[in-house]
Amino acid sequence: MEYYLGITQTIGVHTLLGLSAYVLLLTGQLSLAQVGFFAIGSYVSGILTVIFGWHILPALLVGALVAGFFAFLVGFPALRVKGLMLVVATIAFSEIVRLVFFNVNWRVEVNGLEVGPDSTQGFREIRYFAANGWEQAHVVLLIWLIVILVMVLLWWLDKVRAGAVLRAVGEDELAAQSSGVNLTMVKVAAMTGGGVIAGIAGGLFAHSTTYVDHHTFSILLATFAVSYPILGGLKNVLGTLMAVIFIQGFIIEGLRFMGDYRNILFGLLIIVAMNFRPQGLVDGNFTSDLRKLLRMNQKRGGIDA
Amino acid sequence: MNFDHIDIVQSLIDGVLFGSVYALVGLGFTLIFGAMHKLNLAYAASSIAGAYIGLASITIFAVPTVIAFLVGPLAAGLVGLLIYISCFQFMPRNNMLAPLMASIGALFFIDELIIDKTAGSPITFPVLLPDAYFPVGEFGFRGDLLFVTFASFVLMGVIVFMLYRTKMGLATRAASQQPVASLLCGIPTHRTNSTVFVLAGVLGGVAGCLAAAAVGVLSPLLTLPLTVKGLIVAVIGGLGSIRGAIAAGFMIGALENLFLLFRGVNERDIYVFLVLFLFLVVRPNGIFGTSIDRD
Amino acid sequence: MSHSTLKNLSLAATMALAFASTSALAETTINIAGWGAKSGPLRSFGVNSEAVMKAAVARVNETGGIKLKDGSKAKLAFKYHDSACNAEQAIAVARKVASESNALVGIGPTCSGAAAAMFGVFQKKVGDAGDTGLQFPILTDTAVRNGLAKISQWTFRNTPNEPDMYDKLWAWVAANHPNLKTIYGGTETDQGHSNGTYSKVIVQAATRHGFKWSKGNIEGLSGKLASGFKNVLASSSNWLQADTNFSVQARAFRRSGADIYIISSHPFTTCGMLKELKRQRATPKLLIGLTSSSSQEVMKGCAAEAEGMIIPTSFAPITDMAKEVAALANKNGGDADLHSAAAWENVMIIKQVMESVGVTGQASMVQKERRMIRDGLEALTTTNGLIGKVTRVQDEGEALKPYVFVQAKAGNWVVIHDPR
Repeated sequence: MEYYLGITQTIGVHTLLGLSAYVLLLTGQLSLAQVGFFAIGSYVSGILTVIFGWHILPALLVGALVAGFFAFLVGFPALRVKGLMLVVATIAFSEIVRLVFFNVNWRVEVNGLEVGPDSTQGFREIRYFAANGWEQAHVVLLIWLIVILVMVLLWWLDKVRAGAVLRAVGEDELAAQSSGVNLTMVKVAAMTGGGVIAGIAGGLFAHSTTYVDHHTFSILLATFAVSYPILGGLKNVLGTLMAVIFIQGFIIEGLRFMGDYRNILFGLLIIVAMNFRPQGLVDGNFTSDLRKLLRMNQKRGGIDA
Repeated sequence: MNFDHIDIVQSLIDGVLFGSVYALVGLGFTLIFGAMHKLNLAYAASSIAGAYIGLASITIFAVPTVIAFLVGPLAAGLVGLLIYISCFQFMPRNNMLAPLMASIGALFFIDELIIDKTAGSPITFPVLLPDAYFPVGEFGFRGDLLFVTFASFVLMGVIVFMLYRTKMGLATRAASQQPVASLLCGIPTHRTNSTVFVLAGVLGGVAGCLAAAAVGVLSPLLTLPLTVKGLIVAVIGGLGSIRGAIAAGFMIGALENLFLLFRGVNERDIYVFLVLFLFLVVRPNGIFGTSIDRD
Repeated sequence: MSHSTLKNLSLAATMALAFASTSALAETTINIAGWGAKSGPLRSFGVNSEAVMKAAVARVNETGGIKLKDGSKAKLAFKYHDSACNAEQAIAVARKVASESNALVGIGPTCSGAAAAMFGVFQKKVGDAGDTGLQFPILTDTAVRNGLAKISQWTFRNTPNEPDMYDKLWAWVAANHPNLKTIYGGTETDQGHSNGTYSKVIVQAATRHGFKWSKGNIEGLSGKLASGFKNVLASSSNWLQADTNFSVQARAFRRSGADIYIISSHPFTTCGMLKELKRQRATPKLLIGLTSSSSQEVMKGCAAEAEGMIIPTSFAPITDMAKEVAALANKNGGDADLHSAAAWENVMIIKQVMESVGVTGQASMVQKERRMIRDGLEALTTTNGLIGKVTRVQDEGEALKPYVFVQAKAGNWVVIHDPR
């Protein structure tokens, strides 16, 4: 059981990471900076619980806000560049964040033990959950409450005008601008929102794995973050969740017995998936099919009764 | 680290010479972008794959080193073609995300295949001109890097010639600027695009072989740094600008060594990225301002 | 088919089933698990570790298996999992083995970063009811970064003790090369093990034995472990794990004019750096390397340039047993080196502990026996290693392993000093 609860935690954390990229993709911005915000969230909340002995909830909140603040700052210069230039610029941002944490050495004695980030040696023993008697199920509950909250929020956003504005910017900036949408505000807001979500994800990650170092936050993780929503599709938040379950649950965990062949297979599957479903797994057809199916069932249910 | 003027000048020399490898990789990124306005993230991986295939031709078929340096680039060209077919050819033209994602898949696939075959261990790569070292006063020039620099200029010349003096080049430029119109004029867009991928692949293969020869060891660890440096070079040069990519390659090589000397290795790359930001703010269209080369 | 034949058949089938199940009962198996990086750039670590572990388990079974509490014998079975070099995956495998299998003990993971994360989800202090961490004994073979095992009392390591080895190495250099006085060096700073051992262990040990930094004194460097390590790093000529251009660093080495160069890195950059040093004709009187470079990979990558490099290692094929393990590892498609050879020792240690605490192999006893094995591992004071007696550091869960000094000569690591 411990094992399945652990996997559920991983899936939750990665779903949040994927959703943070999803928000930006809605506005047409492909950002590899999410891993940078994720790193900020991990280190900040980890430092707060380990060095300052904070409770996990305020630590997560502050981690998310700090990450969001940096995302806000990044949002403005990021407006100047578009498309592929933005991809490269955000790679550079994530790498700078990684290199800064690579240089951070802040060791403090707490209860007779030296703790805190130790540059290359990493930041060990972020053991808040285990040390405070949290069972795996409690951790799962915390993570998934946050995941569901974020998903519901994003779902709701899509139903009101704000979502339409985001997607309008994503579809055609010029048209959106000429119909009175404030591009700057929308893009910076999306960047900040994505940063906050990535920051929470980072804080949860650091506490559920108990250890982070700069290698964790490589470009590889940044590509995973954008892979989830792109593979899953941008139609709605469920696509991202499905992609995370597929990658983390099926490919990485389910196929573990295949050793390194699962990574080769992973690469192949992405290529095949994008060729056959360039709009992602959950595209417009998928949801309308699903809806039709549901409606049909309802109808049939009515007749039978 | 203590240093004096000799160190500074010598680091500049080495940096500029080593920058030729970055220039070649950046050139490949820029060519593909110029032709299709799409990013191929598997590009550096295909370069390293080429170097591995060249090396395999030595270890398995015992071909002479020179042949391996031909096999490597050709193989990388073939890998480039396969990437085009699998990740770009059948994608909707206005969808930027799908081919990008597919090329990330190709990157994983190529890297993990190499790791599976070599267990990720570093392997000796034949060194070009191991004893060529030209001392000039207090300074010295590495023979192999001089050769790399020379080769990259020749390749750049070849590329420019092909783009501006041949029918194929004209078709490529047309397809790049007006894909639909050129298709209507009877230009086979897929063929021009695949030619660009093969061409860029060959360039990458040369860069991969030369980088491996310069360091003397080949390892799958090389893929990610080459990808990141190549992208930075392509952007600083102005995406789509050939001479921009070349200039940026040499510039980044030189700056990197200076940052290393002045600020140490832990901060070196931070400054390289800050240079990128500086360019994005001050010259978003690249070193030469307008991307006149391609668009 | 008549009714009676059908009845007979089913009777026979039931009997066969019953027979099969009794014979399965007679043959108890004891399970253990191993995991490490079999995918990603550090795949060789997992491949080597698995190859050695497989050979060790086969040897245990050939020689009668594990003696159980009631005196009967049981076969030892093991399963090796790929956890890449990844914190989440190492934790997932640990949880899977602990909660979904009957394995009594685990060997792994191979990467120090993954180990640091994984050990963190284990219970810190045994019997602490307020700590919900995992309760499962681990005896790690490969992850070598300093001081990991003390993260949890459930985790033990049988990895080389570098502070001890480098102390003895510099004493030996001082005694055998009295004319060499000055040192200079560098490391790959983004690799935790290379960096930590270099800046906190190697340079301090050299200072302790009277060697001088060639470019003046380093502030705070007293010879005590980790003294002034930040200044050591700042004074050295360093590079990163994936670097390909070493010209600036190599020049700093050459211009340091030191008698002895220290190169603290893993095979890929060790080779790159050595090749650049040779190209710049920077030739020290002596070359000292990091333990992890004493593997076959350096010999595959740059045998000629590594010529003369001296490294302390806890494994070399110098005893009959060590030679045999090296051969068996090759047969299983891996190499036995200072990291993976420990997997053999670990399997033997586990067998010894299981037999001394008396395990039963019954499913109902699994959690209790895991605890017994943990206590047994903690109680060990010495174990038999492949090249000699291994002393256990009681309160830290670490090992003090015998070592030899090897030197690269004509494409091989040759033992030049054997203090055992």
